[in-house]
Amino acid sequence: MSIAETEARAALDLSVLIGDWRNTNAAGSITRIVCKPAGEGRLTVHTWTAARDFGTVDAPVFAFTFDSRDAGAFAANYDFGFARARLQANVKAGVLVVVCLTSFHDESGRSNYFDREFFYRVRR
Amino acid sequence: MLPLPRPRVGIESMAGHWCKTNDSAQWIDSLEIVVEGDGLVVHVYGGGAGPTPADWGSARTDIVYASNVLSGDAKAGAFIARFELPEAQVEMQANLNLGLLVVATYVSFREPGAWANRFTREFFRREDGA
Repeated sequence: MSIAETEARAALDLSVLIGDWRNTNAAGSITRIVCKPAGEGRLTVHTWTAARDFGTVDAPVFAFTFDSRDAGAFAANYDFGFARARLQANVKAGVLVVVCLTSFHDESGRSNYFDREFFYRVRR
Repeated sequence: MLPLPRPRVGIESMAGHWCKTNDSAQWIDSLEIVVEGDGLVVHVYGGGAGPTPADWGSARTDIVYASNVLSGDAKAGAFIARFELPEAQVEMQANLNLGLLVVATYVSFREPGAWANRFTREFFRREDGA
């Protein structure tokens, strides 16, 4: 492996993902997602719903092609004890498409469920 | 007090043989999904594009997700399954949308190299037309 290969892996360009993203649907579940660079190609993701601040987590990033230097997707895990939320997001045509997979680990009887929402960027 | 029973997610709608909708080579060629108890077993065949093995083998779903919090209906739901390929770990998330199986993968290589960790999304139709 060459140094260039290592750097290509370590330094995906995050500019497509960075920013303050708002739900296109005012009645949506997740209201806001803020993606920030955290150095060395890392990304942090801060998520809010109308009722809860999910907080900030590190999120691995992914390119759209195997030889790309541009990150176009991320995955973020939130663990609330009684429930876990797995966010999988990618940018398509300037829209952040977010799949939220929620699983419950309490005794409420609620079904694990899947949701998909769309976000526009208000600022980088 | 006994815990409330969780509605069973109707996973049968996701079972079947799913073929790619795209004529060109792609990351995944087809998937064979079978019901096993309350979960699904997913067998993946590579599509020739990138470092995809011809046969990924099978994995049982981690979780099958309903389409909403109370319905117990997986027709518009999703699943997650994980595969260990020779060079990479793959998290697969698939969901049903308008009769298509939309399959996203998050590919993380174990060792640094020429390939970037990658996101893919591809579309599959049920071969039997069911």
